[in-house]
Amino acid sequence: MKFRVYRYNPETDQNPYMQGFVVEASRGMMLRDALLAIQDQDESFAFRHSCGEGVCGSDGVNVNGVNKLACVTPVAELRETVVVRPLPGRPVIRDLVVDMSQFFTQYKRVEPWLKHRDPLPEQEITQTPEARDKLDGLYECNLCGCCSTACPSFWWNPEKFLGPQALLTACRFLEDSRDQAAEERLDALAGPYKLFRCHSIMNCVEVCPKGLNPTKAIGQIRARMLKGSL
Amino acid sequence: MSRSASGLRAWLLQRLTALYLAGFFIYLILYFHFSPPKDYGAWIAWVDDPLNGVALLLFIATALLHAWVGVRDILFDYVPLFPLRLALLGLVGFALVACGFWSLRIILVPLLVRIW
Ligand code: SF4
Ligand code: SF4
Ligand code: FES
Repeated sequence: MKFRVYRYNPETDQNPYMQGFVVEASRGMMLRDALLAIQDQDESFAFRHSCGEGVCGSDGVNVNGVNKLACVTPVAELRETVVVRPLPGRPVIRDLVVDMSQFFTQYKRVEPWLKHRDPLPEQEITQTPEARDKLDGLYECNLCGCCSTACPSFWWNPEKFLGPQALLTACRFLEDSRDQAAEERLDALAGPYKLFRCHSIMNCVEVCPKGLNPTKAIGQIRARMLKGSL
Repeated sequence: MSRSASGLRAWLLQRLTALYLAGFFIYLILYFHFSPPKDYGAWIAWVDDPLNGVALLLFIATALLHAWVGVRDILFDYVPLFPLRLALLGLVGFALVACGFWSLRIILVPLLVRIW
């Protein structure tokens, strides 16, 4: 199978370039396996990965123009020549390794932890099954960044617009029956930038390897804001 | 409430004006399809009808507001340079307000002239 991968080492290369490789495809081979095979051919080739099963979220790459998690992308589904680039819009550290710090900064800004104001009970804070169901489709995010780096609004305003990942997380805590800081969280999302740069383009939904729907989550937050201001 | 700050308000304004614009366009299309005005007099009579006149003025107001929010969104997205954005916002705002007064003049002056 033919691959073209993005290469750039800021210490030695003037400009990024694309390099061709041929990898023998095997049954059930995932893109991560192919990248590892490429690394066997040229050990200077760099990319991130760890768990190999879509859990850690470290191997988001842009494949034939679409952001994907390499370890859960069967190569058999990809059109040849497979073109692999780093996630778009992020500064390249080397080859497919990008600097995601801005993405994580936005994640931190939504204060992704439970805020419980009442005195904590002796045991755990219980939740009804119905209340727990509300978190489905919100908590599964592995922070791979495929969504936010596919979002045009995040490309243009990455320091002001929180991006689909952080907004999905904001919604996850707003929907949690154990969280008691909804007002504060909504106030923190006010203004024209943090949430309202989203124009419901839905690139995020299209690429999420976990099948999550940040656009819907953003809509849920908007509905809450609307309810609160009427 | 602080939350009704520019983000939510602009977003809501955009949806509400869009609703009115869509409704008015449907009315216009139906009206001009089934009874298109034959001459200048008929046109004037159409605008003279207070319901049409008010609807038309409301249409202009909503169209301008809708355009304002839309252009503002585009500038927020694509023009990060603050002074340039401010200048463009000012320019667009001026143009839209000018359009508003101009259409007011077109619609209202003949009316007033006839009343006196
Ligand atoms: S729906 Fe919103 S968050 Fe998702 S890609 Fe589009 S603009 Fe970005
Ligand atoms: S929402 Fe999906 S695409 Fe976005 S970071 Fe989470 S898992 Fe990745
Ligand atoms: S290697 Fe962990 S998600 Fe792909």
